[in-house]
Amino acid sequence: MPASTVSERLASAAQPLHFSGIEVDHRDGDGRPFRVLDIPDFKVPPGALIGLRGPSGSGKTSLLHLAAGFFLPDAGSIRWGDVAVSALPGAARDRWRRETVGFVFQDFHLVPELDVLANITLPASFSGWRQTSDQVARATTLAGRMGLTDLRRRAAVLSRGEQQRVAIARALFNAPALILADEPTASLDPAHAAEVGSLLVEVARESGATLLCASHDPVLLARMQQVAVIGDGPLILKVAA
Amino acid sequence: MVIADLRALRWTAAAIVTLVALAVAIGVSIGAQERALRQASARAADDFDLLIGAPGSQTQLVMSAIYLQPEALPLVDGRLLNELARDPRVAAVAPLAFGDIARGHPVIGTTLAFASRWGRLQPSEGRLFAREGEAVLGADVTYKLGDKIEPSHAIAGHWPKRGVADAEEASHRHEGHAYVAVGRLPRLGSPFDRAILVSVESVWAVHGLGNGHAGEDAALGPPFDGQRIPGVPALVVKPRAVADAYALRARYRQGGTMAFFPAEVLVGLYRTLGDVGQVLSVASVLNAVLILAAIFLLLVAVTGLRRRRYAVLRALGAPPAYVLLVVWLGMAGLVAAGCLAGLGLGAAATLAVSGLFEAQTGLRLSFALGSAELGQVGLILLLGSLAALIPAALSYRRSITAGLRG
Repeated sequence: MPASTVSERLASAAQPLHFSGIEVDHRDGDGRPFRVLDIPDFKVPPGALIGLRGPSGSGKTSLLHLAAGFFLPDAGSIRWGDVAVSALPGAARDRWRRETVGFVFQDFHLVPELDVLANITLPASFSGWRQTSDQVARATTLAGRMGLTDLRRRAAVLSRGEQQRVAIARALFNAPALILADEPTASLDPAHAAEVGSLLVEVARESGATLLCASHDPVLLARMQQVAVIGDGPLILKVAA
Repeated sequence: MVIADLRALRWTAAAIVTLVALAVAIGVSIGAQERALRQASARAADDFDLLIGAPGSQTQLVMSAIYLQPEALPLVDGRLLNELARDPRVAAVAPLAFGDIARGHPVIGTTLAFASRWGRLQPSEGRLFAREGEAVLGADVTYKLGDKIEPSHAIAGHWPKRGVADAEEASHRHEGHAYVAVGRLPRLGSPFDRAILVSVESVWAVHGLGNGHAGEDAALGPPFDGQRIPGVPALVVKPRAVADAYALRARYRQGGTMAFFPAEVLVGLYRTLGDVGQVLSVASVLNAVLILAAIFLLLVAVTGLRRRRYAVLRALGAPPAYVLLVVWLGMAGLVAAGCLAGLGLGAAATLAVSGLFEAQTGLRLSFALGSAELGQVGLILLLGSLAALIPAALSYRRSITAGLRG
């Protein structure tokens, strides 16, 4: 699909992401509840490139999971444009996620028994068992941009860096309007990290998607338009340093 | 995705297939074996409409006359042969004189009519006996046409090996007597395939009882017009009609004889068999339940690993129907493979057991799958694959985040 069409299609699809009144509690080892996330009001404009910074355990992953609808907050709501994601019932939320979100997991979560191509096109397999040639072409292009050439290798035999890149390709395959990335360059050496980081930003910019990226990587954070710091008072967007 | 899932199961998948195969094999072979036994034994009794013998055990008479199990039986008065031959209710009657063996084969004295099973059978080789001293061989008899057959007196309790004249047999040989094999009958699938059929007159003569006829060179078969007609252990009667059958049975139940339909005895035997069969059925159902339980436990054990997979699929936006379908297809595939393997195993086991049985008794059992077995297989398939859905469905109760943490 030509890049311009994609961005036209998604310019309307990228919506503002709004967290309001969010409270997430967990229980620690002794069973006492402690607050993981407390976000009274946090808005992400459509098509923005936002970095998330903060110490480990500060709730970056939880925030991304909330945005994707992986779990529901103990209080508050998450809205994507007009859609109240946190209010959607399970199956509807799954469908919204399928159509809207591309998630890059910190642990990759590839299917080890499938090969690179199958892993990348996995989201498309939910609606049709066989991969169309169109899908294969798109996956191959995407993989190529990630620097992956042999698509027939099983995911189980890939290096961490290769797995990371497959995970990113999979997240971008459906041209999602909301890209959520959890430490996308953590397993890459500086050279690859730079490559992948710039690709991620490039694809997001091309398609006009919103990118929310949790990372320790200063080089990656520098590419973002704005950065929010978690765990240091209320969550506000600051211009990237 | 289904294949990837199955590959991830690794040895668990093999274990599931094996367990299912065992369950199915046991169920199938029990049912098939029982059915085969029933059908074969019933078929063997086909030509024996009504049996008449001296009062005693009906079961024993059936076992000896139809299934050729050697036993010493009391004799029925030979004059009954003529009486029955004259009876308008009788279409045909034949004596069965057993008690001799040759190389382990039972030697049965009867008439031409019954040797050809009331005219139904044509010899596959040679011809039927036409004179005293001639013999017709069953399909599995180890003699060849033209061979000399030396009979021995069979001893009750001695189980001869087919084709072998052992020491016991040699010590009871009827000296100076021999039959000549002149023909062979087609395969009946019953113990008669290993029998040597001769004229009843020959058997009487060999035992020094005369030949039941007035003259030395009389033609074989009824009427038996001799001064003295020796007794025989059993008479086979073909009644003209059903009503005649019952009338004959009633008439010969008294006055020093017993008369019955072999079917009556077989039904009693089958009932016993059926009771045993029921116990075995219960055992095989329990067996299937145990195995399904084992499979379920196995699945629960691997559920931890699979939970992460389900969570990842859901995280990518897979609809619940997709997840459940993938899980169900995978399990159904495994269980189906197990069922097929089990059917094959069950068939092999049944054939093996049937082979052993046939070697012992001469009764040929054929393997046939009944609706009961197929129903059992279908049930295992359904329950097994549905059981796999339970862990998958349960995983939906937790959040995706929890599932990803594994």
